[in-house]
Amino acid sequence: MASISLSSASVEIPVFAVGNNSLKTALLRKAVGGKFGQVGTNLIINALNDVSIEVRDGERVGLIGQNGAGKTTLLRVLAGVYPPTSGSVQVVGRVSPMFDISLGMSPDATGIENIRVCGALWGLSRAEVDAGIDDIFEFTELGDYLKIPVRTYSAGMLLRLSFAIATLRQPEILLLDEIIGVGDASFMAKAKARLEKIVSRAQILVVSSHSDSIIRDLCEKVIWLDKGSVAAFGAVEDVLAAYNASV
Amino acid sequence: MTQAAVHQAPQPILHRPSASGVRDLVAGMANWRLWSMLGWNDIYQRYRRSAFGPFWITISMAIFVVLLGVIYSKLFHQELAVFLPYIAMGLITWGFIAGTTKDACSQFIENAGIIRQIRLPYTIYAMRMIWRSFIVFLHTVVLIVPIAIFFHMEFGWGTLLAIPGMLLVVLNQVWVAIVIGTLATRFRDFTELVATGLQISMFVTPIMWPLGAIPDARFIADINPFYHLIELVRAPLLGSAAEPLSWIVVLVMCVVGYGLAAMALTRASPRLVYWL
Repeated sequence: MASISLSSASVEIPVFAVGNNSLKTALLRKAVGGKFGQVGTNLIINALNDVSIEVRDGERVGLIGQNGAGKTTLLRVLAGVYPPTSGSVQVVGRVSPMFDISLGMSPDATGIENIRVCGALWGLSRAEVDAGIDDIFEFTELGDYLKIPVRTYSAGMLLRLSFAIATLRQPEILLLDEIIGVGDASFMAKAKARLEKIVSRAQILVVSSHSDSIIRDLCEKVIWLDKGSVAAFGAVEDVLAAYNASV
Repeated sequence: MTQAAVHQAPQPILHRPSASGVRDLVAGMANWRLWSMLGWNDIYQRYRRSAFGPFWITISMAIFVVLLGVIYSKLFHQELAVFLPYIAMGLITWGFIAGTTKDACSQFIENAGIIRQIRLPYTIYAMRMIWRSFIVFLHTVVLIVPIAIFFHMEFGWGTLLAIPGMLLVVLNQVWVAIVIGTLATRFRDFTELVATGLQISMFVTPIMWPLGAIPDARFIADINPFYHLIELVRAPLLGSAAEPLSWIVVLVMCVVGYGLAAMALTRASPRLVYWL
């Protein structure tokens, strides 16, 4: 059973001004009685402010809010890469954070080699990668291109490959930062079908989007983030209406 | 990623201060498939389009060793057949030690993309760098063969002690990489400090000069951790075992160092991603 539970989680990101993350400043601060390692005079961004949410198994949650409202930060907290600076986060289930699907691609390696490395990075075992290679061949329609370096690929081909690798594993919790647009129209349909399959099999989906129609299509609940705080969390139409009224 | 991941904000008082750091170290090293793959990938990436590939490292090391060997043997009035193998074994080992210490400064910053997306033990990035450097090191080790043939060096069973010696050096560099990597991510000018320190150490350590050249200089070597690290590999290759002192010093460094690494990871892992 997958579940997500945040209780008053906050994320404060220190912004080290020029010279502030230097050893000299730290030592000088120590010399004048400041505490070593303390943020001191640095600017701090409250990227997430006292967020408490419960997401249960089977729920599909949309994330809305203006740029800089904390959508990506919240997704990173859920992915486990941003430890909250206060409060607690509990995520149960196998998570796939699909923020940058081309993660780990090396241009001079061939398609097949990239499948192996990226697959391992996404947490697939060797057997799972081997089993997935045929699937990727078929899905991407790249054929012999998979045997040559990916730097020779067009942008669309590269996107096909990274999309295929990122979606090879069926996660229990799927985190999407905006829906991925993939290549030409004919491939788009195929990619949409593949993504929908994964979305429908995932036990929890959290997706951030600026598009009301995507939110209506995929989600039954919406979190509205405003300046790092939860402005509203509830049924799609209620929250969307409130959000659109405020903008 | 784990089946169930619980991320708790750092507690003001931790009962076992190094617990999460130890977990990071163990899980990171255990994921050898990932770090060895990423390390190999770095090598491929760097040398795929060059004709000699990583053997460029071999070539440049060969030139360096021969030139320095010939010039310095004159300078210190040493016999070339003794001095050139000495300088070669020393430089090859030093190359690994200095290279890993320097690369440790950027190891987390280079992996920022992965760190911001997938939760993995930080130790993996240190192991990736160490593994890559070890492959580079193996490309310079091959130089032992022509040098041994040319100068009629004799190898015995004792020479094999260089292998556990090198393994201990590798093990030592893992904790060094973790400690330096965390510090250099937080304090960016730490990188400059490390670079300067390494440059000075190269000249202070008996690598390019024989220990016997300065009779009163014994203590310079004995208090120098780099000397003991190098001796573990160099001495057996030159036909004499490393002194027990060198083994003891490096073993103690490892014990203390892994403790430091665990502490560094425990302290840094709730914040490191925000420093990138």
